[in-house]
Amino acid sequence: MAAALRNGRAGWRERETGRPGPGLGAGAGPAERLHPAAPYKVKPTVEHHKKVFSETFEQPPIYVPVLTYMGYGIVTLFGYLRDFMRAWGLEKCHASQERKEQKDFVPLYQDFENFYKRNLYIRVRDNWNRPICSVPGPTFDLVERVSDDYNWTFRYTGRVIKDVINMGSYNYLGFAENKGESLNSVAEVTMMYGAGVCSTRQEMGNLDKHIQLESLVAQFLGVEAAMTFGMGFATNSMNIPALVGKGCLILSDELNHTSLILGARLSGATIRVFKHNNLQSLEKLLRDAVVNGQPRTHRPWKKILILVEGIYSMEGSMVRLPDIVDLKKKYKAYLYLDEAHSIGAVGPTGRGVVEYFSVDPRDIDVLMGTFTKSFGATGGYIAGKKELVDYLRAYSHSSVYAASMPPPIAEQIIRSLKCIMGLDGTTIGIERVRQLGVNARYFRQRLQELGFITYGNEDSPVVPLLLYMPGKVGAFARRMLKKNIGVVVVGFPATPIVESRARFCLSAAHTRQMLDTVLNVLDEMGDYLQFKYSRQSPGVRPEACDEPDFEIED
Amino acid sequence: MWKIEIVQQVVKKQTMNVGTAHSEVNPNTRVMNSRGIWLSYILGIGLLHIILLSIPFFSVPVVWTLTNVIHNLGMYIFLHTVKGTPFETPDQGKARLLTHWEQMDYGVQFTASRKFLTITPIIFFADECPHPKAASTSWSQNLWHQQVLNATSRV
Repeated sequence: MAAALRNGRAGWRERETGRPGPGLGAGAGPAERLHPAAPYKVKPTVEHHKKVFSETFEQPPIYVPVLTYMGYGIVTLFGYLRDFMRAWGLEKCHASQERKEQKDFVPLYQDFENFYKRNLYIRVRDNWNRPICSVPGPTFDLVERVSDDYNWTFRYTGRVIKDVINMGSYNYLGFAENKGESLNSVAEVTMMYGAGVCSTRQEMGNLDKHIQLESLVAQFLGVEAAMTFGMGFATNSMNIPALVGKGCLILSDELNHTSLILGARLSGATIRVFKHNNLQSLEKLLRDAVVNGQPRTHRPWKKILILVEGIYSMEGSMVRLPDIVDLKKKYKAYLYLDEAHSIGAVGPTGRGVVEYFSVDPRDIDVLMGTFTKSFGATGGYIAGKKELVDYLRAYSHSSVYAASMPPPIAEQIIRSLKCIMGLDGTTIGIERVRQLGVNARYFRQRLQELGFITYGNEDSPVVPLLLYMPGKVGAFARRMLKKNIGVVVVGFPATPIVESRARFCLSAAHTRQMLDTVLNVLDEMGDYLQFKYSRQSPGVRPEACDEPDFEIED
Repeated sequence: MWKIEIVQQVVKKQTMNVGTAHSEVNPNTRVMNSRGIWLSYILGIGLLHIILLSIPFFSVPVVWTLTNVIHNLGMYIFLHTVKGTPFETPDQGKARLLTHWEQMDYGVQFTASRKFLTITPIIFFADECPHPKAASTSWSQNLWHQQVLNATSRV
């Protein structure tokens, strides 16, 4: 409804579907872009009665990319000038160099490959890898550092910047804390079991804590069984090779994480990439795969595995899960869902995108997630049918070669899972999940009202705010730190050349007051640095549009 | 069959630092397809032309010739001489010996950007021809210049 009112503006590209519940036909046609036909019939939460899948990726006016290219062009020219000066001794070269005696050897690395790093990254390097000296909760303490030679080296002044609002940590439910009664159990477990296991799951590293954790995870997700691993990245990269091999096909989303790509490459299967969240692209690839089979022999593929993520962390967009599940059933493919950022963060009770879209967890073949983001721990899990998990216990690289999860970490996950599920007898968990949803929606809505361009789904706790120009990226991060707010900014080449952004990660531990502080600072800074590029009309509040929908519903 | 309209600029992810999300191995391949780069290119040539026009002792045909020459030289250096990528790519340096022109679109020929970048210098050259004064010498110089650049760069 709110989304429908925002339509029809020039330069505005919105992707919006209203989808009837499962079992009904998809009735959205071209005209439905303006009026969502029938919204998702999801369990009504306090905030929403009807849910419309609405993601926005607004384009700025054309002068913005032009100025961005100009910015990169100027920096490149100056880079060439400085390299020339360094090569001819007119300027001191701070980068590491080979010794004079080795100048005739084959060079260790190509100078040009570090051009970007030398001439652009180093200039703004003080915005990343900032040392902290407290737990990364909703606020944290930073070690103050200054540079005397334009970020080539840093020195610490000895002061600590206290209570910086943390908008960069993946602390979705606020479990990154070091005070709390329930943490006593973690301390006890550390005393009893020790800090680490030093063995693999298949040898001596299988503790009762792991078994307890795995049954709890399976119960949480609503599946038959689960297996946990010590490292989230390794969960993807070591288990995908166990599931698919040569002769199989992997269809992976364009914006998949490096761990998924590495796992896909290690498996030896053929990889085909479909455009981000674009179901026509995926369907085309599926049809092509089923009809044509393997490249030269035309034999049928042994397995087709679709790799998607729940929430994509750079965009803040959510996967179109019900549609992908329909596609997978139609073409008999398997689905691997990586819920690294969405488990614990979306859904009425925090069970991820599966719950958010009311999809049956038995429809997803492999449910994967990590404990790093919402649970304040490390590690990952793979869940699904008992058959699948038993197979992975025997054949996964992690279970044979990698040390298993340390017991204190397992206990931390157990305690946070119990909290979220309400098994500890309190409602803290569900309150946090609810608070995160409220924070995410509030923050996004206020940013859009203020006139900033943000990407992604309105319910996702990851909010990328587009800055576009390389100069603004550095200036923004520095000024935010001066105002005691810590943000993460990303630029080219981690993002497309035009779309440098600041990425905010909301947390349940952020209070309304903190968010308002951040928003006021952003408002001021948006006017000062001029990055309020949005051309849609601001100020549309969802409460004002909660009128009865007079459309004829399918 | 899919009635859902998806109107979204495809966001392409590119990597520099290991560990960031994306599957675009070499971001350089997509730069010439980004939004607004063709316009920026034209505006850049326009800016160069205006700067040269404001130098008092160059006459108009000379300025046109100079624009063409400097533009061709610039394109030659940046697109056809400099090899590799200014950042490390995760594909173990497949593009280290390739110029930017060769890297564009992963080597697929006759894409829209390649056609645009081929045709624009020709149009600028043709634009320059109608100036009659001192046209014959500069015209032939320019023609020779273009031919040499074209031959050496596309090889």
